[in-house]
Amino acid sequence: MIAEETLVQELKKEETRAKAFEVLVNTYKERLYWHIRRIVLNHDDADDVLQNTFIKIFRNIDNFKGESKLYSWMYRIATNESLTFLKQKSKKMGVSDQELKERLVENLEADVYFEGDEIQMKLQKALASLPDKQKLVFTMKYFEEMKYEDISDALGTSVGALKASYHLAVKKIEAYLRED
Amino acid sequence: MKKNKKNSFDIPEGYFESFNDRLMDRIKKEEAENGESLIPKSDGFTVPNSYFDNVEPVVLSKTVKKETKVVPLRPNSNFYYGAAAVAAIFILIFSFNWNSTSETIGFDDLANAEIEAYLDNNTYGMSSYEIASIIPIDDLSFEDVLENALEENNILEYLDENVDDIEDLNLDYSDYE
Repeated sequence: MIAEETLVQELKKEETRAKAFEVLVNTYKERLYWHIRRIVLNHDDADDVLQNTFIKIFRNIDNFKGESKLYSWMYRIATNESLTFLKQKSKKMGVSDQELKERLVENLEADVYFEGDEIQMKLQKALASLPDKQKLVFTMKYFEEMKYEDISDALGTSVGALKASYHLAVKKIEAYLRED
Repeated sequence: MKKNKKNSFDIPEGYFESFNDRLMDRIKKEEAENGESLIPKSDGFTVPNSYFDNVEPVVLSKTVKKETKVVPLRPNSNFYYGAAAVAAIFILIFSFNWNSTSETIGFDDLANAEIEAYLDNNTYGMSSYEIASIIPIDDLSFEDVLENALEENNILEYLDENVDDIEDLNLDYSDYE
């Protein structure tokens, strides 16, 4: 795999940009897709947001200062794009953010690209009941197996606060799953 | 063989000193294992067949391959000068006629609904502090930011339920004197 620093340098040079961007899309498409999918839940929406994310990355690569890792910077863009997408969707539908989240989970029952059983369905309901930040931290740590340092970079929250959020989220999810 | 009155068994050195720590570690480990088993390892999402193979061409067609191609200038530029001169004459004639019959379109001609729709559908990346610095606070009232009008009774009910000591609010009672 190409080193991140080399990739950034190649992305910033006009003559190597196209090839480097191809490598970038190939390397990160799956990880970013799953991150987005866990926020927007529906495959078609995730596909739209993933494309928007890569377009934004391409247009803004010159503004990437290298203060954080490229990977964290892309996660930040993907997270913002996903949350903005949900906000616009709730406005278009004329429902609150929370109502939209509940509807998205209900829609999973008829979604051909969701093969979850009863417990996985309940997990989605539990996740929808969490505040955005707690849900993000939980999915990034538990399902995406990211390090706290990387999550901190992507979300702009201290590692200590992330650990607290994660433990709180686990406790709430467990309590929800224990309910009949 | 001489029997030891106390005990004939031996234990590793420091066994009892470290017993508590080892016990607590095991309890924590078991607790963690039980906790994890409650939450499923996978969340059940799937993607269409070969979806990831198609991401790359779609994204590249909207980014790298969409960049404007450089069109070389033709050596014979007289054609362009001629076309530009004709266009300039047309623009002059039209702008002269246009100005005499119609007014310039300004901000006031935009329908409120169009502005609201734009603001609803676009994020403009401004923090509440930035918005506050543009709009003078004196020009705003609570009604401008609330979606539903506040009933006085609801306010009093809220304060009654949520404020322990009404003195904390430092209300000016002059109206009630």
